[in-house]
Amino acid sequence: MEIFHNLWIGFQVAVIPINVMYCFIGVILGTLIGVLPGIGPVATIAMLLPITFNLNPVAALIMLAGIYYGAQYGGSTTAILVNIPGESSSVVTCLDGYQMARQGRAGPALAIAALGSFFAGCVATLIIAVAAPPLAEVALKFGPSEYFSLMVFGLVAATVLAHGSLIKAIAMVLLGLLLGLVGTDVNSGVLRFTFGVPELSDGIGFVIVAMGMFGTAEIISNLELKDQREIFTSKVTHLYPTKQDLKDSWAAVLRGTALGSALGILPGGGALLASFGAYTLEKKVSKHPERFGKGAIEGVAGPESANNAGAQTSFIPMLTLGIPSNAVMALMIGALMIQGIAPGPQVMNEKPELFWGLIASMWVGNLMLVVLNLPMIGMWVKLLTVPYRYLYPSILVFMAIGVFSLSNNAFDVLIMAIFGMLGYVCVKLECEPAPMILGFILGPLMEENLRRAMLLSRGDPTVFFTKPISCGFMIASFILLVVVALPAIRAKREEVFVEE
Amino acid sequence: MVPYAAGGPVDLSARLIAPKLQSALGQPVVVENKPGAGGNIGADFVAKSEADGYTLVMGAIATHAINPALYKNLPYDPIRDFRHVALLVQVPNVLVVSNDLPARSVAELIALAKRQPGKLDFASGSTGSTGHLAGELFKQLTGTDMVHVPYKGSAPAVADLLAGRVALMFDNLASALPNIQAGKVRALAVTTLRRSTFLPDLPTLDESGLKGFDLTTWWGLMAPAKTPQAVVDRLAMEATKALADSDLQARWKAMGSEAPTVRTPAEFTAFVERERKLYADLVKRSGATAD
Repeated sequence: MEIFHNLWIGFQVAVIPINVMYCFIGVILGTLIGVLPGIGPVATIAMLLPITFNLNPVAALIMLAGIYYGAQYGGSTTAILVNIPGESSSVVTCLDGYQMARQGRAGPALAIAALGSFFAGCVATLIIAVAAPPLAEVALKFGPSEYFSLMVFGLVAATVLAHGSLIKAIAMVLLGLLLGLVGTDVNSGVLRFTFGVPELSDGIGFVIVAMGMFGTAEIISNLELKDQREIFTSKVTHLYPTKQDLKDSWAAVLRGTALGSALGILPGGGALLASFGAYTLEKKVSKHPERFGKGAIEGVAGPESANNAGAQTSFIPMLTLGIPSNAVMALMIGALMIQGIAPGPQVMNEKPELFWGLIASMWVGNLMLVVLNLPMIGMWVKLLTVPYRYLYPSILVFMAIGVFSLSNNAFDVLIMAIFGMLGYVCVKLECEPAPMILGFILGPLMEENLRRAMLLSRGDPTVFFTKPISCGFMIASFILLVVVALPAIRAKREEVFVEE
Repeated sequence: MVPYAAGGPVDLSARLIAPKLQSALGQPVVVENKPGAGGNIGADFVAKSEADGYTLVMGAIATHAINPALYKNLPYDPIRDFRHVALLVQVPNVLVVSNDLPARSVAELIALAKRQPGKLDFASGSTGSTGHLAGELFKQLTGTDMVHVPYKGSAPAVADLLAGRVALMFDNLASALPNIQAGKVRALAVTTLRRSTFLPDLPTLDESGLKGFDLTTWWGLMAPAKTPQAVVDRLAMEATKALADSDLQARWKAMGSEAPTVRTPAEFTAFVERERKLYADLVKRSGATAD
């Protein structure tokens, strides 16, 4: 079997002590920056780039990849403990993970996030090894019209399933869409809603909005409670998941892994949908959807597996086509080019030790992360015993540093503060921020792909239905709408975004 | 100061040359990114910084030639507010077509475009990018009509080119090279006057009948306007020395950069002025704006 032969080559490269060491450095650094709110893998990898020039390319790539998926692990830690998502992927983890922490179940939440991520990482690594080149061809089948239809489906699935405060959920999605319009119009280059502020011409950063809406707003509403703030740790019964927890989450892990692996392959923002999609899916298939938003372990297991699987499979378009699916992948391409390796279709044939070594190292790295993270859970949970009057100023400072480091601009910190206020208002009005975040992410992507598809078809809207993949998503969206519109089924409509 | 996000080609070259300048000048050289507004925020920051030679910016074709034409209210003047120290990098663009397109040469492409006016699409990384303006210049010189399809960055544009959803693209040589070599896209010509050392068999557009077609993506070190002449000269000298370094040349090659055609600060200023005029004209005729 060629695959085993290839993986064998890969493992031979990956277990060389020096490569293991760089992998270790990578995952440690990644976990660290993932835990620190706001400081993301992009800034870290950029700072480390000059160091990698003098390493051999395999070691350099192994370390950078370690930082990337290490950060995915670490990011869930802050989301669960203090409700601050550092990356788009951990927004969803906040919903149930933080609730679990409030119930004294921070330990199981962290453990299931780590175990789910490990499982997803292993599966995704195998997928890359077995099927990277054909999957890359699938990714190419997604053009503007396919992306648009996929996102329509995503948005319909998310908003239509919201319940109770359906009007509020729609209002929040619309607010998100509006906020997503800020910046330069891709087609004409015209600035929209920037009010002459040059800092707004690239739009509002996602991390900034998410940290303001979740993190800052959470801190403000906690401070309002004066001394009555719940003591998370008093209720801690166990650090590790119980049998019941594992039983509840194994299926969610499987589904999350499948969904994340599939969406991660798409270079045009598919990975963004992975964790949102996984959460919606879990809620849809659950027999007890009312538990979601109140600390359902499936709500942590599914999205966490999905985002880790997506993070791994997003290497496919980068390694096989030279197309970066996000800023981190773009940085890795930069690092490879400096080494004189142009990422593209030939890497696999010309540099098998690099390609397979990297893949094998991902598995090694994932293993290290689990070994590293499980014993640390106790320590993280202890962190919650720190009195809030000490904890919140340090969180705020780290958030401000993190946001500032995104583009060395104090303006971004101001924006975060504004969104913190907005988030607090939303808490008071009982409007959940998650639909807004989804609208904010999907809105600009949808608009861009819609207009591009129309430009390519010279204004013919039938393209969305004449292309098979696109048509499939459109039909699925339509069916979903009809299903929810039927009053009989509406009675059983499930909640997706209701947090409280 | 790099006015772009970390990890892009401008950032990479800054991070590569920084240690060389550091050892030559005996001063720590720190690379800082201040991205935003197409590079204008970072460029403006340096234009208004103290002119002591300690703050330099990677001024590029966008910040110093295209944006002045694209943005109506640019807060700085690319010529008067800067001392142009040293041109570091010049990367050609290359005209690549989808494998599905029957055209095998520039002449065939022109003939095809003339037969089907308004049918072919050309992709670019953004409105007002070199890829976009190269396409506009191509349309002008050949009298053809093609539709510009802008993307958010060149990566998704390349994906659609590979899949054959757009017909052609004027892509940066470094990013196009691997797919050209793998036969996934077909290169027809380079946009510079001279042939590229990386693809010596590929004709230039100038040779292919588009006389005077010469577009290069470039960037280099610039300082605030009031920086003393002696400081500018010293920095220029050290930068030129660093460029001659064989290690750096190898890294430059990996990015697809040719040896800069401009050597002294005075030549650099003249070069920026020339480029600015060229793009002012091109942007006007293309009707692009960012305001």
